[in-house]
Amino acid sequence: MTDITAQSAPGARFLTRERIIKWTPLLVLVFLVLLFPFFEWLEDFGAGKEHMYLADSRFFSIRNAARIFIAATPALMVAIGVTFIIIMGSIDLSMEGTVSVCAVIFAFAFIGWGGTLASWAWLAIPVALLVGAALGFINGLVHVRLKIPSFMASLAMGFVGTGLALLLTGGDRIRVEDELFRSLLTVRWFNFPIMVYVAAVMLLIAWFIQSRTTLGRNFYAVGGGEELAHASGLNVNRVRIMGFTLAGVFFAVGALLAVGRIGIAETATGNNFMFVSITSVVVGGTALWGGIGGVWNTLVGVLIVNVINNGMVVIGLPNFLQDGVLGILVILAVVLSTDRKSVSFVK
Amino acid sequence: MSFERIKPHFPWITLVVLILIVGIANPSFFDPAGLLTLVSDVVPLFIMALGMTFAIYIGGIDLSVQQLANLVTVIATVYLAEFGIAVAVIAIVAGFAIGVISGFVTTRLYVPSFVSTLAMGFVALSAAKFLSGQRALYMDAELRDASFGWMFGNTAGIPHELAIAVVLLVVAWFLQTRTTFGRALKAVGSGELAAIASGLNVDRVKILAFAISGVFAAIAGLLFSVKLSGGDANLANGFLLLAIVAVLVGGTPLTGGVGGVVNTAIGTLIVMVIRSAMVYLEIDATQQQMVFGIVLIAAIALTIDRSKLRGVVK
Repeated sequence: MTDITAQSAPGARFLTRERIIKWTPLLVLVFLVLLFPFFEWLEDFGAGKEHMYLADSRFFSIRNAARIFIAATPALMVAIGVTFIIIMGSIDLSMEGTVSVCAVIFAFAFIGWGGTLASWAWLAIPVALLVGAALGFINGLVHVRLKIPSFMASLAMGFVGTGLALLLTGGDRIRVEDELFRSLLTVRWFNFPIMVYVAAVMLLIAWFIQSRTTLGRNFYAVGGGEELAHASGLNVNRVRIMGFTLAGVFFAVGALLAVGRIGIAETATGNNFMFVSITSVVVGGTALWGGIGGVWNTLVGVLIVNVINNGMVVIGLPNFLQDGVLGILVILAVVLSTDRKSVSFVK
Repeated sequence: MSFERIKPHFPWITLVVLILIVGIANPSFFDPAGLLTLVSDVVPLFIMALGMTFAIYIGGIDLSVQQLANLVTVIATVYLAEFGIAVAVIAIVAGFAIGVISGFVTTRLYVPSFVSTLAMGFVALSAAKFLSGQRALYMDAELRDASFGWMFGNTAGIPHELAIAVVLLVVAWFLQTRTTFGRALKAVGSGELAAIASGLNVDRVKILAFAISGVFAAIAGLLFSVKLSGGDANLANGFLLLAIVAVLVGGTPLTGGVGGVVNTAIGTLIVMVIRSAMVYLEIDATQQQMVFGIVLIAAIALTIDRSKLRGVVK
């Protein structure tokens, strides 16, 4: 009886279980943002200093928010790319290679065609995006046509990408010193550098693709149940290949922002993106088995990881502890945002 | 012999073909002493991959092995003077404990093993950094030889390292094929829901699989530490992806239930042949990584038995 009434009036209660779980990642983020200033307050309180909670916080300040956003933008682009793949229930591990290749080719083209955005060198940007798309396309082809599970196909493609970047650079670093391009980092509007706005625009585009296009719907259809999607006449293979291509484009944007941030393109530009981006996606509440989550979850996930990293430095946590604390907090965040009633087992 | 019947044999056929290709291109590859050195050098990677096989066999993954091995190199170096050969026990207990925690977080807290093992790897990294004071440490040569010198001798031309690898392979093979635990592993890997329905304690099986993976990673770390006579929180870096690749190329797909430890032995040898081939075939250092990736795609495309990948290829 109770079951029936509960189902017939879904909007009756404001705080349903599903709703709480859906918003948990955001609550975790808010909690963390309030937690680190608390440690600062505690330290000053112990030292007997005047300290207004939040108002006197070094962590809770616009300057530090800008710092967190700058660190987060390249990772956010990569994580958004892989979000589409994870929604389909696949995985893409090729980002480190793709980011490196895009960064290096961009730098070579940029310098070769004039070295400043005010010349034809701006064409290096679309070229980098095309390279990203091409690598993603090949990745998708290898996965779909050779019928290799995406984990293995993309892992191997990642090796190829890193190798290609190494081949192109011969191990050298390429400096991109054009002031106009570096204004991505150096010019600030309302306290935040331009790269943050670029990332925001890309996020909106990703959200548009996810929720307002057929392709976006198809990602969820494939992730929700591939046999069903196939049976209802969807060309699943095409959706997959397009998904990997789209991911490649976002990896390329991530590469551009990474180069804009540090001014250097090299084989190592892509390092560390793989585990960080997938962890962020999962922490944000997108399920690895597909069909659940989306780009807003990824934004929250990336911010959670970056807030933890930044906060640990601001409150002066010893360096050797930081990795372990990040690990434990990541587990906690995932535990909190998993709906235990909807999953029977986890691999 | 029909095509279907040859399929399961693809991994070792690929290995033989690769060896023949490299050997014909450069006959010095067949020099027995050189081959033996090659094989002994790959032993720590092999042991790590052997443990990883159990995690992948049940459909999970263990990303903590590399950091765990790092931690063990530090533990072994720091406590060698105090405990002598008993550091091996400490190392194995540490590996077992971290594996059990990973397994517990995965099964009871519903955190995917991709994330839980990665996070436990970070915890291990923190412990390694703490114990080592973030410096590279060195073992006292005499103490090392007194406790672990036996690991690196030669008996009748066979390096002891290789013997250790074979013993561990036999143990792992026995566990996988001749015990109830092995049967349970297969059941969980082939279909977890069916295994639950038939009354198996699936959680315990999975936790044990991660624990075994941890123990093997610890042994690999110990061997590595003794070999390089030191410990460092970054010593085993670069092993993780190669260990995964070794398992996958051997024909144990991530979906679980197929393949096994013998496949991993073949997979490790394939990885070894591909990497050493580049030296024998004089491929330029800057090209090696890319060639490795391309050959890897070809090798995986050849070795995986798609008829056993249930349902769709994700």
